[in-house]
Amino acid sequence: MPISLYVKRNVPFELTDVHLLGAKDEQLLQISRELGVALNLEEMRSIQGHFSRKGRDPTDAELQTFGQTWSEHCFHKTFKGKIISEDGKPIVDNMFKEYIAKVTKELDLPWCLSVFEDNAGIVDFEDGYAIAAKVETHNHPSAIEPFGGAATGTGGVIRDILGVWADPVACTDVLCFGPSDYPYDKLPAGTKHPKYLFRGVVAGIGHYGNNMGIPTVNGAIYFDKSYVSNVVVYCGCIGILPIDTFVKDTRPGDIAILAGGRTGKDGIHGVTFASAELTAESEEVSRPAVQIANPIEEEKLKRAIIRIRDQKLASAITDLGAGGISCAVGEMAHRSNCGAHVQLEEVPLKHPDIAPWEIHVSESQERMLLSIRKKHLQQVLAIFKTEDVEATAIGSFTGDKVFKVDYQEHNVVNLDLHFLFTPPRIRRTAKRKPQKLTEPSIAETVDLTKDLLGIISSPNIASKESVVRSYDHEVKGNTVLKPLHGRHGGPNDAAVIKPLASSWRGVVISCGINPSYGKIDPYWMAASAIDEAIRNNVSVGGRRISLLDNFTWGNPEKPDRLGGLLRACRACYDFAKAFGTPFISGKDSLYNESPTGQATPTLLITAIGIIPDVRKTVSVDVKKPGNLVYLISQTYPELGGSEYYRLKGYLGKTVPQVRMSQARRTINSLTKAIDSGLVESCHDLSEGGLAVTAAEMTFSEDCGIELNLRDVPKSRFMKRNDYIMFSESNSRFLIEVAVRHREDFEKSMKGCVYAPVGETRKERDFSIHGVEGDQVVDVRTNVLRDAWKSALRGRT
Amino acid sequence: MMYRVRIEVSLKQGHSDPEGETAAKSLQELGYPVKATHVSKVYTVYLSADSGSEARRLTDEMCRRLLANPTKDNYSFNIEEG
Amino acid sequence: MQEDVRICILRVGGTNCDAETKRAFDDAGAKAEIVHLNEAVEKGNLSDYNAIVIPGGFSYGDHVRAGAIWAKEVMAKLGSELLKLAEEGRPVLGICNGFQVLVEAGLLPGFKGVSKYPEAALATNVPIGYYCGWVHVRHVNSGRCIFTQKIPKGKMLRMPVAHAEGRFIFSKENEEALLEQLRDNDQLVFVFCSENGGPAGGKYPANPNGSFYDIAGLCNAEGTIFGLMPHPERAYYRWQQPDWTQTDAASPYGDGRLVFESMVEYLKAK
Repeated sequence: MPISLYVKRNVPFELTDVHLLGAKDEQLLQISRELGVALNLEEMRSIQGHFSRKGRDPTDAELQTFGQTWSEHCFHKTFKGKIISEDGKPIVDNMFKEYIAKVTKELDLPWCLSVFEDNAGIVDFEDGYAIAAKVETHNHPSAIEPFGGAATGTGGVIRDILGVWADPVACTDVLCFGPSDYPYDKLPAGTKHPKYLFRGVVAGIGHYGNNMGIPTVNGAIYFDKSYVSNVVVYCGCIGILPIDTFVKDTRPGDIAILAGGRTGKDGIHGVTFASAELTAESEEVSRPAVQIANPIEEEKLKRAIIRIRDQKLASAITDLGAGGISCAVGEMAHRSNCGAHVQLEEVPLKHPDIAPWEIHVSESQERMLLSIRKKHLQQVLAIFKTEDVEATAIGSFTGDKVFKVDYQEHNVVNLDLHFLFTPPRIRRTAKRKPQKLTEPSIAETVDLTKDLLGIISSPNIASKESVVRSYDHEVKGNTVLKPLHGRHGGPNDAAVIKPLASSWRGVVISCGINPSYGKIDPYWMAASAIDEAIRNNVSVGGRRISLLDNFTWGNPEKPDRLGGLLRACRACYDFAKAFGTPFISGKDSLYNESPTGQATPTLLITAIGIIPDVRKTVSVDVKKPGNLVYLISQTYPELGGSEYYRLKGYLGKTVPQVRMSQARRTINSLTKAIDSGLVESCHDLSEGGLAVTAAEMTFSEDCGIELNLRDVPKSRFMKRNDYIMFSESNSRFLIEVAVRHREDFEKSMKGCVYAPVGETRKERDFSIHGVEGDQVVDVRTNVLRDAWKSALRGRT
Repeated sequence: MMYRVRIEVSLKQGHSDPEGETAAKSLQELGYPVKATHVSKVYTVYLSADSGSEARRLTDEMCRRLLANPTKDNYSFNIEEG
Repeated sequence: MQEDVRICILRVGGTNCDAETKRAFDDAGAKAEIVHLNEAVEKGNLSDYNAIVIPGGFSYGDHVRAGAIWAKEVMAKLGSELLKLAEEGRPVLGICNGFQVLVEAGLLPGFKGVSKYPEAALATNVPIGYYCGWVHVRHVNSGRCIFTQKIPKGKMLRMPVAHAEGRFIFSKENEEALLEQLRDNDQLVFVFCSENGGPAGGKYPANPNGSFYDIAGLCNAEGTIFGLMPHPERAYYRWQQPDWTQTDAASPYGDGRLVFESMVEYLKAK
């Protein structure tokens, strides 16, 4: 290492000037690499230019601040960058602005109170209360240390909710793993077995949520080979706040309070390694980057923050996540047009011998930053003390828009905030790589019972009860619709929370995720995820829906990966706009690649709806024998990416599309029918299609069902029983209606495609008749239930 | 005097040890010829006391009062100076 | 007749079922207050309250053993107050983590008053792991327990459990004798049972934690201190039940309400 690039300052602690002025391009890159800041040449040059104008070299702490603030993880360079085609023509100037944020801007809905601005999106609830929602990705840390990674992911997203002054009321989690029977000898070096990752991640999420007393109410688990080396962990949190307590008004003279856990070396460089591909060495090299979780610390912090909020003693709040103090203080000062002056030696440490730059960027968990007026200092510190939380004034906000950090009377950071928050825009190339896919030809069998049992016990559909029961999903006593419902615990489409004691209004939480469609076409994958999240929400009675987007994608520097991302973003705009459902928050995780390939492009859509009266919530379980069963919306021969094709060993190419006019009409009519009390039970059709939906509704209780495929509204050329049973066409619902409501129900569904396709039975027989009237499925519902329940029990 | 006390709290015989059983099962799954696994908790306590016997008395009390539940736990300890 | 029944719901770091417990008491006609242990210690006495409740949660992260740290802390800082209260026959209720605290503090089973060291334990679940789900319990108390006075003996109730350390055990060497003592003193309150009312027989999931003799809740010999693993506050309203959409909308409550009603009624009559 050429010594001349780094000059150690003669001070009693570690502080280094980095010789940037006059450094050549290759030296700039060398510095970036050696400091582990993952800045590219253009960015390094921009910093070099900035410091030449200042006429001095930056310190290590300053360069680390750039490394954090300009990272993909913090700044979302790709989503905010310019996208060009391979021949250099501009395609889109800013994917985030022109696809995601544009939906919200154009819909311009009065109930969207704060979108994309803060740690979480905020929408109106009722009576002066608002809902805050956020979903995070925590893929890279979870791949390396599943328990710690998933736990801190949960802790982080809960702090995002606290970071907008909201009280967390529910958590969600959506996880993607490699198959649990993946052969050990095929595992790439440095990759942990899916079983190990599964156990660790699930335990980590449960550990954090359970300890904090926040119910984990909704989620999904998906298995696919592409996740073997690229585990996907989405952690979400929903909170409630009185709107008039939301404050973001930091002013010069305000004190910066750091509260919560102590600062240590944990998480140092967590940000920068998350923005680079995982390699076989990641396991060793990245270990110290994974943070250690202490949920009880955060529970206490939460109590103190809510008290400070309710007494209106603070002027702003934000969480410490990626980039630690450097990002939190910088952002809080920047967004309020202030500067900040921090004394790093005031920061309470876990252990001595931490360099100033490490204190500055450490990602130790369970810390929050508050700005408060001087006059409230004693009151605020007293509240923290009562709650057994350590809180320290670490500096103050200034009027000069400069970020100044001292350590033992030596200045270690002195940065112009405007420059710090204006990184050079990135330019990336996208191309569409057409896929060579074919539709399989599968021999049609007469008896489809075996196929149904096969699908219902396949890992993606089988009951996740063993996971659901390891999460406390009813702490707080407000969970109206739980993940498992009915006498035998069938799978509800969405969770309903009743957050206010004084009101019957509920928050409806659902999600949509269709990774296997992403293998065929990211556009329809995104459209399907949106449709699924919305129909899950609507099917329990949700409406006035807002969306959160979470992308897990490969390396955006590879044009085909970016080409797919671009298509998914376009679909986000097209369909969210058409459904009238604004995006309120989102997060992307890119670089999900390993030596064995990329994670399947995976978009998680989380939908947050409301229901005016939770007592009108519709659940999945069949209510009575002798009721009519309606299928709403058209079934198409869309089996590409379906569980049926997967069972037969194929992917196919006829990916389900979304037909907007039909979808919108269906949703509006169904909501009306639910409000009129005409719907006894309802379940959307998703993975596994009609047959799986009917099975889940039936085996949640003890009764049977008889269905006729002949009556299913379908496209003209659909003749095959297996395709009708297992097609995964979007926007469809199966609905139980009492005979006496037949007319009213049909009246309310006027203009939609619908048909009665069968009825519920007292006998526990599950029977499906084919288009020719012959019986194609004949099985007892308890046999279906056992297959569904037992498949994952022993395996994971 | 400073003493370094190593306290081990383990389950009394006859009580189920679900943690140990789970670990054993998992180790067997990984192909190790494991017959049984027992879990115990180890606390390292740095204690200041006037004498070795005083340190022993305090340690015994700490174990009974907090670290072990006599219904199900055995405890043992050894004390070193320093 | 007591006009106002004042209930103190204690909490420390990691307590997390205080709000719903307060809601249940308030609905049942009491005035419940949530008080941080630090605030109670600062105040120095609990004499304003007719009853003390230790709610569910993960006090101190379940470190050492669930409930152990809080138990020692509460006894060290408020022990004399609590003992005074208990001597006066003012009720003390522990739910889930609160039950663990009462056992670790030596207040339960309390064969001969308060014991210095725990006489029982709430050990790691068998099968191992955190379990959140609804269970059936049978009320087996003959009238000693003031917290279940409104519940007929033999009645089956449905409530959820959510814990990782709920397996009630005695020392192996004298468990039968101690069980006999519990029976003789009418200290058994709830035992886990199967859906059709039969004994759970220690079998999962009817007995979700493997507890001895299917014990889910018990009281002291005076019937004024009661601890249970299930969460009655999560079974207070109809809409909290896992199949409420199948039930009759005319009855707005769940089985858990009976515990709160019994306690408030007892206090009001006092």
